[in-house]
Amino acid sequence: MQKYENYGISENTGRRGEATNQEKAIEINNLTKMYGNHVGVKDLSLTVHKGEIMGFLGPNGAGKTTTIRCCLALIAKTAGEITIFGLDSHRDAVAIRKKTGYLPGDFGLIPSVKVRSYLKYLLSLNGCSSTKKMLSLAERLQLDLDRKTNELSKGNKLKVGIVQSLMTDEDLIIMDEPSGLDPLMQQEFYRILRQEKKHGKTVFMSSHNLAEVESVCDRVAIIRKGQLVVVEDIQVLQEKTGKVLEVEFRDPFNINEFKFDGVSSIRQDNGRLILTIHENLDNVIKAVSNHQILNMNLKTYSLEQLFLKYYAEEEVDERGDA
Amino acid sequence: MFGRIAFMELRTGWKGLLIFGLLVLIVSAGIPMIFPTYRDSLIEEMEGASKVHLELPDEQGGMITLSWEPLETATSYMVLEDNRSSMVTPNIKYMGNETSITFEKDFEEKRYYAVMAVLDETSDPVLIGITATEKGEDPFQELLKNPAYAGFTGGRNISMLEVKGFVALEYYGWAWMLTGLFIAYLSVSLIASDFENKRMDVMFSAPISRRRYLLEKFTAMSVIALFIVLVQIAGLTSGLASINALNEFSANAVLLSLIGSLPFLMVIAAVGIATAIFSQKVRTGMGITFAFVFAEFFLYTFGGFSKSLEWMKTISIFKYWDYFSVIIDDLFKTGDFLILTLLAIVLIIAAIRVFQKKDIPT
Repeated sequence: MQKYENYGISENTGRRGEATNQEKAIEINNLTKMYGNHVGVKDLSLTVHKGEIMGFLGPNGAGKTTTIRCCLALIAKTAGEITIFGLDSHRDAVAIRKKTGYLPGDFGLIPSVKVRSYLKYLLSLNGCSSTKKMLSLAERLQLDLDRKTNELSKGNKLKVGIVQSLMTDEDLIIMDEPSGLDPLMQQEFYRILRQEKKHGKTVFMSSHNLAEVESVCDRVAIIRKGQLVVVEDIQVLQEKTGKVLEVEFRDPFNINEFKFDGVSSIRQDNGRLILTIHENLDNVIKAVSNHQILNMNLKTYSLEQLFLKYYAEEEVDERGDA
Repeated sequence: MFGRIAFMELRTGWKGLLIFGLLVLIVSAGIPMIFPTYRDSLIEEMEGASKVHLELPDEQGGMITLSWEPLETATSYMVLEDNRSSMVTPNIKYMGNETSITFEKDFEEKRYYAVMAVLDETSDPVLIGITATEKGEDPFQELLKNPAYAGFTGGRNISMLEVKGFVALEYYGWAWMLTGLFIAYLSVSLIASDFENKRMDVMFSAPISRRRYLLEKFTAMSVIALFIVLVQIAGLTSGLASINALNEFSANAVLLSLIGSLPFLMVIAAVGIATAIFSQKVRTGMGITFAFVFAEFFLYTFGGFSKSLEWMKTISIFKYWDYFSVIIDDLFKTGDFLILTLLAIVLIIAAIRVFQKKDIPT
């Protein structure tokens, strides 16, 4: 199997996708968080600009939640600085929370109260008296406000979490893995996020659901083992990753026929030809048409595949180093 | 606005609080109601006692006069003497036709006299009545001389035959276990369950400082403690009123003696909150807080054993809730009240300091 070429993805704290003249919503500089001898996050630097939706990707235990909870002063930092709207994350924690909505990755609700009462209680803690947005969000997400909190399914509990994070109309919304809704509701949730962005809100959301990040995010930061690996515009990343063409021929073929400029990877797998194409798609299709085709599929390179590929390469490199 | 978290705690927990309040009310009203039965059980009502009359001398060695109502059908009378009311092994003190006898009191212990009427040779004697040289005895009198009890009562002469003594020993002496342990349980679970059920992240997504969070929880606990104390006052007052014993207490004695327990309960609540912050687990926090309450009780108990151990009392919170002083001496110790209040405040400030530096676990 041929090895992929290097797409130029930075292994350092990649700032390439970041515009320097934009206002900063979150600025994290050299954040380190240790849990005893265990590294939670190490020397992480990241900026989230005002008005963008930033995805924060990484596998379980990579340090996404640790980073977010440091931002909200739920846990102490070991080193580094975090400022949110120019305020110090820990010294000005209460002031920051006045401007921030937060959906935790795992959370519990006060039991045996109606969802409506619970949300009103949270509104009052936020000093917000209007229930207009709460009611609108609940309607859009089809959340029954008259159910008791201890009677909710996992999905409905997540809806409560989403509503409470958005209902106070804060400037910054931080969400820790907001996936788990049914597909229709998930799409509605993405529409809500896009609307928030239109209204000038900043969203910083962690996820290991790459399709989710592709759907709504402007930029993505990838974290692994507590260290930031790459920060990139989603569009640029997708362009870099190209498209994948899978073709099944009736007859044998020679892979050299498909070597064109802009084709980064050529692979043969059980009689199937698998190409990664960045440009020159026209020439590739013409070359393919010289053969009798049984089956063909052209798709956008999934960020998930990129993600998996990237980690696979890292693992190989590490084993090589060892 | 301050108070919303406290209000939510009261709102979600009102059913449990109501049930506990009802229990406290029953206990507080019920214990005084037991007193008359208890007292009467010590003052023995012996059969036919109204028909037999005993006159006792003022001094040892004086003469006792025993008289009884005559029975028309009696041919003679017989007086039996024993030191047990069951009269299992009596001595025959008198046989004859008189209805009154006099004899020397040459003994110290309590003695019982049964007067029998002999009807004829074929019938068994008939009991006219039984009487005794003492009307009743307080089984706790000897016990209260024990240093452990004397330490509690402050060496005061307390009689269980009086409603004050009964209530002080049987109600106040045990009420702390009911109310104190409830407050310990509630204060720990109020905080630690927020950790265990992962409610902290949502709570602190709102612009709430950790100091405010703990102060609100402490406020909720203080309101709950006040509610319990008020229920105790209402229960005890109505219980005493139902046996017409309220006038045996000086005005406000019940009120002040129980208000004195308010800072005592607040200290327990503060310890519960502090241990919940420290342990972040309901079971561990509860274990530590319960151990604290019992350790304080034992320190106070051991402190009464000897002069050299008296220092133990000073570090026990039980020393600063001196209900005997209010009930028996009519003295409310404001200094003790303030010491406990100050201790509760110091403990809460310490808990806030610790919480401000601690990570909230996921």
